[in-house]
Amino acid sequence: MRLFEYQAKDLFKSYGLQVPNSVLASDVSGVKQAFERLTPPVVLKSQVLAGGRGKAGGIVTVSEEAQVERAAASIFGLAIGGEKPSSILVEESFPHEKELYLSVTLDRGDRSFVAIAARAGGVDVESVTDKVVRRVPLAGVDEAFAGGMAAELALPPPQAGQFSRILVDLERLSREKECELAEINPLAVDAAGRLLPLDAKVIVDDNALFRHPEFAKLHPEDEFEGEASRQGFAFVRLGGDIAVVGNGAGLVLSTLDLVGDAGGKPACFLDLGGGAQQDRIEAALRLVNRLPEANRILVNIFGGITRTTDVAQGILTVISEGLTKPLYARVSGAEEDAAKNMLAGTPVKLYGTAPDAVRAVVNAI
Amino acid sequence: MMLPGEREPVIVQNITGRYGRLHTKLMLDYGTNVAAGAAPGKAGQSVEGVPVFNTVAEAVEKSGARASAFFVPAEFAYSAAEEAILAGIKLLVVITERIPVRDELKMLELARRHSASIVGPNCPGLIVPSRKVKLGIMPVTAFAPGKVAVFSRSGTLMYEIADQLTRAGFGQSVALGIGGDPINGITAGECLDFVESMPETEAVVVVGEIGGDAEERLARHIKKAAHSKPVVAYIAGRHAPKEKKMGHAGAIIYGNFGTADSKIAALRDAGVNVAMTPSEVPVLLRQATT
Repeated sequence: MRLFEYQAKDLFKSYGLQVPNSVLASDVSGVKQAFERLTPPVVLKSQVLAGGRGKAGGIVTVSEEAQVERAAASIFGLAIGGEKPSSILVEESFPHEKELYLSVTLDRGDRSFVAIAARAGGVDVESVTDKVVRRVPLAGVDEAFAGGMAAELALPPPQAGQFSRILVDLERLSREKECELAEINPLAVDAAGRLLPLDAKVIVDDNALFRHPEFAKLHPEDEFEGEASRQGFAFVRLGGDIAVVGNGAGLVLSTLDLVGDAGGKPACFLDLGGGAQQDRIEAALRLVNRLPEANRILVNIFGGITRTTDVAQGILTVISEGLTKPLYARVSGAEEDAAKNMLAGTPVKLYGTAPDAVRAVVNAI
Repeated sequence: MMLPGEREPVIVQNITGRYGRLHTKLMLDYGTNVAAGAAPGKAGQSVEGVPVFNTVAEAVEKSGARASAFFVPAEFAYSAAEEAILAGIKLLVVITERIPVRDELKMLELARRHSASIVGPNCPGLIVPSRKVKLGIMPVTAFAPGKVAVFSRSGTLMYEIADQLTRAGFGQSVALGIGGDPINGITAGECLDFVESMPETEAVVVVGEIGGDAEERLARHIKKAAHSKPVVAYIAGRHAPKEKKMGHAGAIIYGNFGTADSKIAALRDAGVNVAMTPSEVPVLLRQATT
């Protein structure tokens, strides 16, 4: 789960990390009030989860009260990666001379957490060549570890001390809150040599949320994603018109590729999960039947532990309740002949292979 | 890594849970020698005739097992894995999904210190059809004895592709789930090294997906190791959006990191035949083996 910047900065503050003075505003008048309370110039920052906010125009600096309303209105109206902000973080600007990069993140290939620091901040870290990367021990890092990284960055003494304290706090936050990523980019350095995190990016390990009830309800969730998550489905809304449902993440992912290759646009990715039973397929079909942008449904089931006859029974139940969208299905595996007999004579369009079902559903309109 | 032999005793952890019970029956039906089960507080019970013990240590002592099929819920996974490794389990097949990544790192570190192997987590397990050994949840109807090794990050895609291989006359020497999480125990590279010296394997199928750089690392490994057996791969997620977790915790593209295109290019550069669809896998395999 990725936190909004303001949530990540609240978390930073609770770990002793300093951030610029700021006020969160949820409408234009709130931004105007925030401007009055802070010392200009201030930065208005769109609170969206998508990256590239600066380039997209989601971050605007204002010095005069007269500019505030217009800037705030334009940010509230600006969708970044399809996402409009529900709030703006109004923050005092921090004039600085230099920007560093610092993060604690999971290195999947190395199978460990690593601390990454670079003398070039504010840019995409992937493009930085002279970065310092050190493996973080499971027990965490101390001032000596952090001081070693500061020395590798060749920071002058007062800055090195601040850097070390920031890294120790950031790593403790990452470890205690079980983050996949805790990133400061940029970590600004002003003319007096003071270090201050200007942005905060935190991604919490979804699988560790049961140990962190404090993160529950931090996000305003999409109605359909919320319901899918309560049902235990893996669900991603994709914006197209073909709802794609299957059992198993890889199988559904592979079905999206077949749909894309055939020129179709998936409305969603819905993984029923392994061992899916009749009630699960029913709940999934009810969900995608209500999804407004989807006008047809593709079901791809490879039956094994999931019995295809259970799937067929679930489809029959939802049809009897009044399924309104055309359903294209490939149901293969254990008991498939019985499942096909159950669905014969119903409006369900059945195909023997996934590519055949995909071609049919894509070319239906 | 070692693979259990025919009728070699194995145990099931959390054998009294819903999935533990179901899959104990299915493993026994296949011919696997599930000789004991472990579940705290359930000693004296039996599941499908398999005796249950409170601890893994007792289950290991009574059965002589070295391998465990692990069905413990995520919240308790670390302590149960620690118990298994300290009891002498050398092959821990972790089916459980949603284990926190820091618990997985601790499990792997402990396994390394005790020379134990972890398959998974978040995987369908492994199957050796010629030995009737199954430590996992895969539907056995998709598999048949043969000479192709299948390694997959995804469960259902493994079944789908194994089924197509079987229908095309390619049985499997072994099929093993690497796992859908960002962190895996056994890697695809280690699997390839293992089957290089497994005489019953003649070719390898690797099923990857978006997220991370496991396939890019595999490609570098293939170039360096210069193994003799042909490899065919399939990568799911060419049309997946960025920054979205696609079902598996590990299936996520950040920026340009973890895309299917990058993986396909790296594997092709290493001489691997990459299929664009699951049904193309047997076709490429036939070309590679004749």
